[in-house]
Amino acid sequence: MTKSAEVLSLKQVSKSFPATLRGGQPIQILQQVSLSLIASTSIAITGRSGSGKSTLLQISAGLLGCDSGQVIFENQQISTLDDVKLSMLRCKRMGFIFQSSLLLDDFNALENVQIPAMIAGSSEKQARKRALELLQTVGLADRLYHTSDQLSGGERQRVAIARALVNEPAVIFADEPTGSLDERNAQLVEDLLFNLVSERKVSLMLITHNNAFASRCDIVYHLHDKKLEVDA
Amino acid sequence: MKHSLLRLMVLRKLGYRGSRAAKKRILFNILLISLVVASLVFAQIFVISMSRGIADKYALLGNGHLQVHETGELDLEPIQGILDTQLVAQSYALIYSPQANKMVRLKGVGSDYFNEMRLSQLTMGAQETSEETNLPQILLSTTLAEELEVEVNDRVALMLVSQSSIRPQLCVIRNLYDSGYQELDGNLVFCDYDLMHRLFGGKEETYYELLVEQSRMKIIKQELAAKGYSVTSWDEENYSVATNLNTSRQAVLGVMVAVAILCGYFISELSRELVEDDKHKIAMLTLLGARKVFIRKVYFTTVMLVTMISVGAGTLAGMVLANNLGPVLAYIADQSIPSLAYYLLDFVIVIPVLDILLIIVVLALVSMVSVRWSLRMVKVIEPLACTHFD
Repeated sequence: MTKSAEVLSLKQVSKSFPATLRGGQPIQILQQVSLSLIASTSIAITGRSGSGKSTLLQISAGLLGCDSGQVIFENQQISTLDDVKLSMLRCKRMGFIFQSSLLLDDFNALENVQIPAMIAGSSEKQARKRALELLQTVGLADRLYHTSDQLSGGERQRVAIARALVNEPAVIFADEPTGSLDERNAQLVEDLLFNLVSERKVSLMLITHNNAFASRCDIVYHLHDKKLEVDA
Repeated sequence: MKHSLLRLMVLRKLGYRGSRAAKKRILFNILLISLVVASLVFAQIFVISMSRGIADKYALLGNGHLQVHETGELDLEPIQGILDTQLVAQSYALIYSPQANKMVRLKGVGSDYFNEMRLSQLTMGAQETSEETNLPQILLSTTLAEELEVEVNDRVALMLVSQSSIRPQLCVIRNLYDSGYQELDGNLVFCDYDLMHRLFGGKEETYYELLVEQSRMKIIKQELAAKGYSVTSWDEENYSVATNLNTSRQAVLGVMVAVAILCGYFISELSRELVEDDKHKIAMLTLLGARKVFIRKVYFTTVMLVTMISVGAGTLAGMVLANNLGPVLAYIADQSIPSLAYYLLDFVIVIPVLDILLIIVVLALVSMVSVRWSLRMVKVIEPLACTHFD
């Protein structure tokens, strides 16, 4: 694979958090971590709770700064971007799915998917059309005007997948996307996510506890003792 | 794009197709701000109308809008805007009834003095003396009549004080009038102009009372002065009353503006409350790529729309309330409540447009500044904050 096909790379990234509010020795979470995500491929990060998986995802997406090292997203070093550029990058080139769907509860499913497209600069009509198409794809054509509290957990997560894909991002960052779902719904969301990611040639960075889910990715990393290891 | 997104988000914040709680919160705030604005507008209209009413009483019954201190013929050509000219005479006397006495201002006026304009400022008693008498007839206020414990047809004595002598004069009460403002009519007694001349033998003060169009008062005064007349306006003649009224008006306006500033400041509480409750949503929007400037614009527009709607509704409510105050005031006046005896309760409602505009503009400006200031808190909400709820 060529260097240019790399959409995300982390080089020697370290991160620590202060131990207590009163100071003390900082707690090291990541130490000299490096990884690479190639276009249209998927990686999974597994590890025990508290091992720093979510921190790694947040640093990769530019949501959290690192103490040292470099995060390069589509040939741009994230730490050098100002707020406006970083916002645009998140809006147009990244998609997010979390354990809870985190939908905007004032808005219905259609509007939740439509809003990121409008933020990215699409007209209301275009955004609506794309949101409609995506919601049909995730099987929610009959739930367009339902608000968050009128949808089941699985349905909310499907709306979140549609929302993450609406701006045709380069990478989807998924942090335990099936963590709060029952087995049946988890399988449904998992299938949907992998199908759409491969269909639309989007890269995926997946954080999960579930080994079976992780094994569907091209590369599985295991975060252990602050270091990232490729899982055999 | 941004406009349609802004519209969508503001409408939802305002409760359009939103949750019942959001609607309730917005309606409650609209109601609260409207109530404050309505009270401010009502109070300002009330105070201004009352003080203008008092000024009108003094001008129309007391001294006229302008006084020309001249006894000969007046040359009023080609001055425009003069509505009425009356030659009047005035002096002071002690009035005695069997029960009480009081120092009064005796004003001698012509038969056409009580024209429509002046009659609009007072209520004449229905019962006029029918007694055939050679005694001089005078017109007392009901306030004075009550103090002296006299009625129409009763006799009172006037102790006339001139430079050379003091002499009593028996008079009969022809009728009673009520100006609605006891402070003015409590010592004002009307009689015929010729009678004044007869009683005081030329020692009385004689001048012309002019009623003029209010807007042209200053110009007319200047034009009369240019003709060589000695002219004073009603506020110069009643300096302390005019100063008090003016000071009261300014003080009340100052208080209203201060309340508007406070209200404007507290409007920012709504934006603080909205942002505090929406931290999660704001973080989510930031994660989705919305810029903080845009998010602040959403909240700013929402709160300012709430403010404008409330200010509009409050102003309208205040004006409607004030305009329908007449019957209530008339009822209160009829009750003759002693504690309200020295307040004018019968006046025409005027809308002080500039004062109301000032209050609204101050409120809007202060709320704009304070809301913008309060929305700085959006800056510190990081996209990561939305995952804290995860």
